[in-house]
Amino acid sequence: MNPYLIVIPAYNEEEFIAGVLKDTERINPEADILVVNDGSTDNTSAIARLAGAMVLDIPLNIGYGGAIQTGFRFATENGYDFVVTMDGDSQHDPHYIKNLMETMERENADVVIGSRFLEGTYKIGIAKKIGIRLFSMIARFYTGTNFTDPTSGFQLLSRKVFSYLSKADNYPLDYPDVNIIMALHKMRFRVVEAPVRMSEKSNGRSMHNGLKPVYYIMRMSLAIVMVLLRGRED
Amino acid sequence: MGFSVRLFILVMGFLVFMIIFELVRKRRFREELSLIWLVIGVGLIFSSFADRIIDPLAFKLGIKYPPALIFLIVFFLLTLTTLYFSIVLSDLKSKNKELIQKIALLEYRVNKLGQAEGRTGSINSGNRDL
Repeated sequence: MNPYLIVIPAYNEEEFIAGVLKDTERINPEADILVVNDGSTDNTSAIARLAGAMVLDIPLNIGYGGAIQTGFRFATENGYDFVVTMDGDSQHDPHYIKNLMETMERENADVVIGSRFLEGTYKIGIAKKIGIRLFSMIARFYTGTNFTDPTSGFQLLSRKVFSYLSKADNYPLDYPDVNIIMALHKMRFRVVEAPVRMSEKSNGRSMHNGLKPVYYIMRMSLAIVMVLLRGRED
Repeated sequence: MGFSVRLFILVMGFLVFMIIFELVRKRRFREELSLIWLVIGVGLIFSSFADRIIDPLAFKLGIKYPPALIFLIVFFLLTLTTLYFSIVLSDLKSKNKELIQKIALLEYRVNKLGQAEGRTGSINSGNRDL
């Protein structure tokens, strides 16, 4: 068995999943690939199976965070040492997985977050932009590190971290953000960033910016306050 | 509104807010669902000053007894909250039903596979199962 598991959450990605799997497999032959099919209503699951990936079919759509956590559980149960998370819509370039691995080794990190070179490829409203700025500032103040792309779904995690996040309430169902980075920092895990190239979304929708601004700001404020108030739990 | 009444409502509002907040902190209540209740808690705290707006508004609307307007607003808000939780509940119910059905189908398949395995097993190694 390979020590690396690449987890690709996919919800109705029949258009892109075959290409993503082909590229990922070709560039990283030493890693196993798991597609977590988050209750797709199209042929995502069948296409992924045909491409030779392991496929975990979640019976219903539980959302991005829930799908990723399912992958973490799979990796924990099956004894993998490292997990790479990647989107199923060809946004992330699998060439950069190597960068993430090198960064992890060089920095002796537990989590490496792939941060995009290009800013402003997403259209974000002013309220949300202020929210994102504010939360990044809080995270920087708390962790001492500047995270430029906290919602990035392109990450490398060590076993210590993904087995911790695979436990019941340690990972949000909706969208992980700076709150997870802060929670990991509190657990004394070392979280760093590494630059990766991301292409602009070919289909225009994003898995990671699905929340409405007012709700987003309230949701994230609450999450951050809770991280700060809750004690360290093991 | 008298000072003591104002203080009473303010304290009650804070109490409700703190109870909800503690439930979330102790993970007894999911963060995603608690937001609507925290908003109501904040609303309760501010309602101790609501008469400044409610009284003129009630008279403008032709309501002779201003507290009736408060009841009306609270009634609407609570209706909306219950509606929200009914939606969450009905979503959970249909998901639960689907999960149960899928488990039944899976169980059937697992049993069938188990039986097939048992048969080949007994051929290969005599009466292992008995």
